[in-house]
Amino acid sequence: MLNSHRTSLPTLQHRVPPATQASPHGWESAFQAYYIELCEYVLRFVGSAEAAQDLVQDLFLRLWDSRGPRDETRLTRPYLYVAARNRALKYLRHRRVVTAWIARAACDETPPSDTPEDLCLRGELDAAVQRAIAELPPRCRAIFVLRRREQLSYREIAARLGVSLGTVKSQMWRATLRLRAKLAPYLARPGIPEDRAG
Amino acid sequence: MREEIEESDLLRFVEGDCSPDEAAAIQAWIAADPRRGELLHELRAVWRLTGPTTRPWGVAGARIRLLHSRGRHAAQRSAGFSARPGLSRGGIAAAIACLVAGTGVWLLRPRAAPVREFATPAGQRLQLTLPDSSRVLLSVGTRLRVPRDFGLRARAVELDGEAYFVVRHDPRRPFVVRTRQGVTEDLGTSFDVRAYAQEDYVQVVVASGRVSLRAGGADSGLSLRSRDRGLIDARGVLTATSGVALGDYLAWTRGTLVFHDAPLRDVVAQLGRWYDVDIEVGAAPWAGERLTISFATSSVDEALATLAQVLDAHWTRSGRMVRLTPLHRQG
Repeated sequence: MLNSHRTSLPTLQHRVPPATQASPHGWESAFQAYYIELCEYVLRFVGSAEAAQDLVQDLFLRLWDSRGPRDETRLTRPYLYVAARNRALKYLRHRRVVTAWIARAACDETPPSDTPEDLCLRGELDAAVQRAIAELPPRCRAIFVLRRREQLSYREIAARLGVSLGTVKSQMWRATLRLRAKLAPYLARPGIPEDRAG
Repeated sequence: MREEIEESDLLRFVEGDCSPDEAAAIQAWIAADPRRGELLHELRAVWRLTGPTTRPWGVAGARIRLLHSRGRHAAQRSAGFSARPGLSRGGIAAAIACLVAGTGVWLLRPRAAPVREFATPAGQRLQLTLPDSSRVLLSVGTRLRVPRDFGLRARAVELDGEAYFVVRHDPRRPFVVRTRQGVTEDLGTSFDVRAYAQEDYVQVVVASGRVSLRAGGADSGLSLRSRDRGLIDARGVLTATSGVALGDYLAWTRGTLVFHDAPLRDVVAQLGRWYDVDIEVGAAPWAGERLTISFATSSVDEALATLAQVLDAHWTRSGRMVRLTPLHRQG
């Protein structure tokens, strides 16, 4: 019944390493580990996800091209952040974004990676955040949760709840303002990387 | 571009839902008044507190785009791959922006480039069409490696995870799926291969046609037909079962997870991949239980509630971390 091969096939002996583990494919690991972080970081500068993704993609592409996929020396978190930041600032200047914004963005510090203390603080905060979300008016809360937790687009939310796109947007804004008021004591708390970056 | 910018536009800016031009206009507007900068700062803080990322980033799609660009860079041409977003039923977010299939010409002689690798993170599936027009649906947390010369003489792919293949039969170029423990060779068919590195078995379920399954290194193996399930266990022993319920094994392709008499450990591991959460069970009294349960919801919370109900447990979730604890002590 068996259709044996003419050519001998090597069997797959190695297992593909998990994304976070160091592997010979340094580029691959770095991409898996830092792509999202870097996009988030660059987004703060440029405000457009489309542009942020392009910039980060370009960064990885150049690194790969100029260094070769096996050179891991440049694929460290600090290096990637500096490179991403330089690219973002260059992009802003190139697009002639107002200098006041560029100056502001240039003060943005590299977000530190989470320390155990941060994680602990965040856990503590989480209860307050959950409570604040639970206290939103029902429709407001439903929309906010669909957006932030389920990550649906505004259009999908409108379709799912049978409301207009305008309603979704205005409810999201309302939810955000309420949360901002409720969470005011935590917004400037030290230990959350967001707040270290001015 | 817009004429008037309102405070609520900052939300789109925070989420990055702006074109580069809109973003520039909003940046100028923010820079004009320090109070706006302060508001922006607070909105970002709210976002940071209420979710792990500001928006979905689609890493798998970005990876594929990058590999494509990389391929173009290296060889100055595109190849005949296409990738489509995962089915968005069952709450599995579509990961991939549509990629154009180049000229449709499968050019040969790749430079010493790596194999193409397609990967899905937890919570996302991906549908691919290979150059021979075979179709593959990758399940959550899965990697598929496709050699550059795929289809040239042989059609061999490597799989870590679970995928459903609909293969166009070609006796001259057998379609071979290699996994850590075993090799599956199609004889014209649709079949599901499950071989997660974290699990110590390979499972193949045949929907139609015929498939041969052999342990790594072995010369011969089992021939499986429709509704057969073949298994290679940790010691490389092959077993087969006939007449299995296809619907249960293939339910994931339609966005439902079905478990029949499965160890809780497996249920929890798969739920974790499916909804992208870490579920901690601890040494609870049910740790050794076997469950028959299905999940058809896109909401992780609903799924957890179902699981908790079956286990008579209490559950809490904080971001990706989920904890199940006994509802009341059992006497």
